[in-house]
Amino acid sequence: MTLLTILLLATITFLTRYLFLHPKLPIKIGDKMESFLSFSSPAVLTAIWVPIVFIRDHQLDIAPSNPYLIGATIAVITAKLTRSVYLTLIISSTIFALVKLYMH
Amino acid sequence: MHSKRKLAYLAFAKKGLIEMMPLNLAVIPWGILCGSLAIQRGFTTLEALLMPMLVYAGAVQLVVIELINNNTPLLTILLTAFIISSRHFLYGLALRTKLTPQPANWRVPLGFLLTDELFALSSHRKSYQGKLQLVYALFAGGSFYLNWLFWNIIGIIAGSSLPDLTELGLDFAIAVTFIALIVPSIINLSRLITVCVAGVLSTVLTLWQWDYALVISALVAMLCGYITTNISIRLRKSSKKRIANSDI
Repeated sequence: MTLLTILLLATITFLTRYLFLHPKLPIKIGDKMESFLSFSSPAVLTAIWVPIVFIRDHQLDIAPSNPYLIGATIAVITAKLTRSVYLTLIISSTIFALVKLYMH
Repeated sequence: MHSKRKLAYLAFAKKGLIEMMPLNLAVIPWGILCGSLAIQRGFTTLEALLMPMLVYAGAVQLVVIELINNNTPLLTILLTAFIISSRHFLYGLALRTKLTPQPANWRVPLGFLLTDELFALSSHRKSYQGKLQLVYALFAGGSFYLNWLFWNIIGIIAGSSLPDLTELGLDFAIAVTFIALIVPSIINLSRLITVCVAGVLSTVLTLWQWDYALVISALVAMLCGYITTNISIRLRKSSKKRIANSDI
């Protein structure tokens, strides 16, 4: 039963990823749609990361002591200054870990 | 030149591996978590292995493992998986003009590999156009797949001997990596507005526990960015007209 579920799940995830890539689909993307879709990367990725930072246990956590908030602020600054994914990841994660440790 | 072409392929393959590396690192704890959670919730080794191998979606894996453990009806499980995965429709749509013309033996595997992370690396103007870009994407996406599989396996092996990893704040690594990718790309007002709307709306809708919080906030944010671009184009056109008219 679990095996069947897994196979069905695999079909779902693959379909959501591949469906709109299939050539036989009668979908045409004009210039306006192209422009609209060009915003999809910043939109979706931001929609993913912001709740991670601001929501804790289904509640908004904007306290300055929130390690996620501190870490993310550092991350934004570091990303803007260094433009390096590696540096941003290392610096922010370290600060996050330290803040989290000291909060206990 | 045969060897020049090979060198180019090698260079782009390497590029793919290197640029995916931060994301590969960021998901290590998640891979371990998915693998070990499956074992802890009574999955067989085969089932725990097939999840990352076939389903290949961290959020879906985590949520579904718990649902299956709670004997949730199949339809609910599938619907939940669909909701969580729905944002991928946007990825396919966004990449359609670039990836759909490519031969099927590239298009289908890359479609399979199209996670958030590969999509995050797909926003270059030239992405998926030409063999070199396809090789880049294959190695970027492929390395992420193998990396994901590997850490799931580590989690499976560690099995029950790991504590509950969900309280460690591991999701922070994903947030930071996405921040690191998005912030440098905010080069104009339209993209700034897109990001702000996406962030605020996504937070609000998630707090309100809307099923489609992610997709809705993304679509609204994209609309705002699109409208801003149009308005600034129109403003620029009308100011050019005024300047032109004032020369008369």
